[in-house]
Amino acid sequence: MIKIPNIPESVVVKHGSKAWPLGLAGGGLLIIGSLLSWSGDPQVLGDLTISFNPGGLQIMAIGAALIAVVLLVTHRGLLNSLGQWADSALALRALASWALLFMTVVLVAITVEAGGLVNIDPGGWISFLGAVLLFAASRLVLPKETRNLAEARLPGWAEILVIVVLMAAILFGSAYALGLTDAWEFVLFLVFVTGVVITGIRAGLLSWLGHVTTRHKHVLTLAAFAVAFFFPFTQNGSDANMSIASQVLIFAAAAMGLNIVVGLAGLLDLGYIAFLGAGAYVGATLSMSAFATIGWKPPFFVVVLVGGCVSGTLGLIIGAPTLRVSGDYLAIVTLGFGEIFRLSMFNLDGNNGPNLTHGPNGIPAIPDLTFGSFNFGDTHEVFGIPLARFSNYYFLLLLLIAFIILVFARLNNSRIGRGWVAIREDEKAAEAMGVNVFGLKILAFVVGAFLAGMAGTIKAHQDVSVTPDQYIFLESAFLLAAIVLGGMGTIAGVLIGAVILKLLPEKLRFFADYRLLLFGLLLVLMMRFRPEGLVASRRRQLEFHEEDEELALRVESDIAEVVI
Amino acid sequence: MDTFVQQLVNGLTLGSLYALIAVGYTVVYGILQLINFAHGEVFMIGAFGALTTSLVLFRGQTALWVLPFMIIGAIIASVGTAVLMERFAYRPLRNAPRLAPLITAIGISVFLQELVRLNYDHVPFTSWNPFDLPDAKSRIPFPQIDVVTGPAFQVSGVTIQRSAIFTLGALLMCAALLWYFINRTKMGRGMQAVSQDADTARLMGIDVDRIIVVAFALGAILAGIAGVAQGLQNNNIDFRMGFLAGLKAFTAAVLGGIGNIQGAVVGGLVLGIVEGMATQYIPGQFGGSPWKDVWAFVLLILVLVFRPQGLLGAKAVDRA
Repeated sequence: MIKIPNIPESVVVKHGSKAWPLGLAGGGLLIIGSLLSWSGDPQVLGDLTISFNPGGLQIMAIGAALIAVVLLVTHRGLLNSLGQWADSALALRALASWALLFMTVVLVAITVEAGGLVNIDPGGWISFLGAVLLFAASRLVLPKETRNLAEARLPGWAEILVIVVLMAAILFGSAYALGLTDAWEFVLFLVFVTGVVITGIRAGLLSWLGHVTTRHKHVLTLAAFAVAFFFPFTQNGSDANMSIASQVLIFAAAAMGLNIVVGLAGLLDLGYIAFLGAGAYVGATLSMSAFATIGWKPPFFVVVLVGGCVSGTLGLIIGAPTLRVSGDYLAIVTLGFGEIFRLSMFNLDGNNGPNLTHGPNGIPAIPDLTFGSFNFGDTHEVFGIPLARFSNYYFLLLLLIAFIILVFARLNNSRIGRGWVAIREDEKAAEAMGVNVFGLKILAFVVGAFLAGMAGTIKAHQDVSVTPDQYIFLESAFLLAAIVLGGMGTIAGVLIGAVILKLLPEKLRFFADYRLLLFGLLLVLMMRFRPEGLVASRRRQLEFHEEDEELALRVESDIAEVVI
Repeated sequence: MDTFVQQLVNGLTLGSLYALIAVGYTVVYGILQLINFAHGEVFMIGAFGALTTSLVLFRGQTALWVLPFMIIGAIIASVGTAVLMERFAYRPLRNAPRLAPLITAIGISVFLQELVRLNYDHVPFTSWNPFDLPDAKSRIPFPQIDVVTGPAFQVSGVTIQRSAIFTLGALLMCAALLWYFINRTKMGRGMQAVSQDADTARLMGIDVDRIIVVAFALGAILAGIAGVAQGLQNNNIDFRMGFLAGLKAFTAAVLGGIGNIQGAVVGGLVLGIVEGMATQYIPGQFGGSPWKDVWAFVLLILVLVFRPQGLLGAKAVDRA
């Protein structure tokens, strides 16, 4: 992280009183500027040329300014009573820095896209000046003492309302983000969201939300699924975004499955994509495609089970010998297994072995799923909103993900899950305590493989064709990266990681060529600076930062809280 | 009989290459108990180092005297990569959980491949290409050198490629020098001490950090030479070549007993011969070259089931 140096204390003491009016002026200028035209070219960043009719980016700027004003008033003024809970000074610093970054990127984008600084209208400069003033003011504001947020409670209904509002914001935010076609706009939206989230963290809002959500866990889960469920209805029948969304879900489902193996049991599986592939090949072979080599089509739920079982058996075959030796071997052997799988699918084309997979051509023309008279390929109308092919698969995948998350959560909170954590942290100590190390490792490996196999059968139908080159090592590496990025062993983290890793490349086509390069660098940097991932469970954090005494105390107090 | 000898020769050639790379895995593992998964990429960059030397300094020159310079270029590139990777990626993770360095290694591996693929033909962030280097997105022909490439020898019905002799010779020479270095020099004995017990070695006044860098560099030197050998054998190189070669070499290291340097050499040769024989003698549809990689990995799994300490015995395999 870049640390902006603090202003010397003498300056703060001398000019501290000016911070408040300066900040208000900055916020005001930002709002006024955003109401005016930002650029002279209607082709750039959506249309930002019309005064008093703000475009999407201008609304974001106004929103940021309003938050800044609220923070100022919380610091001193009307909402002072709120100030004892929220750390408004730190929040303001974060917000102002991100607002400045936002406005800078806007000006750069207009300059680059429209060709020259002349295309920036006065409104753009006024907003930029507002952001600069806000930034200056935020540096002069002094932090205050705040109270423990665990004590901050609202009435139950209000807390639930907060969760619902939050989820609705996520729903419309993601629908809006998916609808953005311009890469600059998308980047700016990301800057805005990141800025708001960091402001929330600095203000303590997120840790308060953490307390709220632990009090209303079921509400949160339900709300999250409701949001995911209603997402297709926001698309007005457009299937383009739903295609991306269902790809994201497949990826997330596989990542959640791998999360059991890597995140809970600490077994590094580098060939996990092979299990997904095995499921996909089972799904394709038992689909009555014109190219399928077995002319049998059982009901789909049987196919899902067969896919899971085939993958699980492969997991057993590969896991049983290697799980006895240390974890490093497992990593390489699973890598080798991934290659064996890919090469076998490539070779079983009738020339070099029995014809099972049509070799490099794979199995194309897999028919859509049908449940009774419900065909997944058709468009169905629900409440007047058309839901096309990918929406149908989206709902099915949502069901699958819910199932995988259920398995994950139930296992995690059971004797088995605690056994896995013990193995992950210290295998020898776990064995000494009577944990069946080998059995539990095998179980983790097979359960992970089984879930991937299930996901694979759906993937085959959704992708229409199955070929060996969909299941290369890089895909396994991407799955692993989603887990590392999000936070090993967490549910929310891995889902976020999967969404980021799959969505960003779709939206940011301009760095398509540098995608893998950045991805490699990201893995190295994450391991170096934040090995516990974006969303980290406390216990996991402690594993990576053993010498952090303060963190150890907090984890202990957390555990004590749970016990009481 | 001829086919048997022919496959033996092919296997030994392939095996020498594996052995050269496998030493890198085993030396680092012996000292740090770390599988340097990105070692295959060090090998790949070695090959590109040799290619660059030839293209920049001796373009069009095919005389034998170019070869030593190419080898030096390969070694500079591979050792540089390995030392930088140790310093900036692995060293900060010395005390991290074991998963961390492995994931880092995957990251380095992808990063290095892409770095070569995207930036070989120009200076990064510009389109400036002062030495007119080729685009690395597809295979690049490797320079041919008099004497070591060219028409193969025929010895009573057995074909022996010239490059095969070079590879085998390189392995023999490297093995001899390595043996001398490990057993007869102060630094080599320090290395043995660190691999036995790093803490005690530190108390005896050995600079453990330095020994670790030397271990990475040692593996990289051999990988660089292997890169040149691979280029001469295949006539072309590409940015993907490190992945499979690295995987095979790791298999060889495990086969011989990881952490054991003689084991890596023996394991490499055995793996090469097994692959050669599998191509020829496995009957039916599952024989032949399309399946030889599969058999190599099956061998790895079988070794882990029946003899996880490898043929010659590993330094440390903790059984769960």
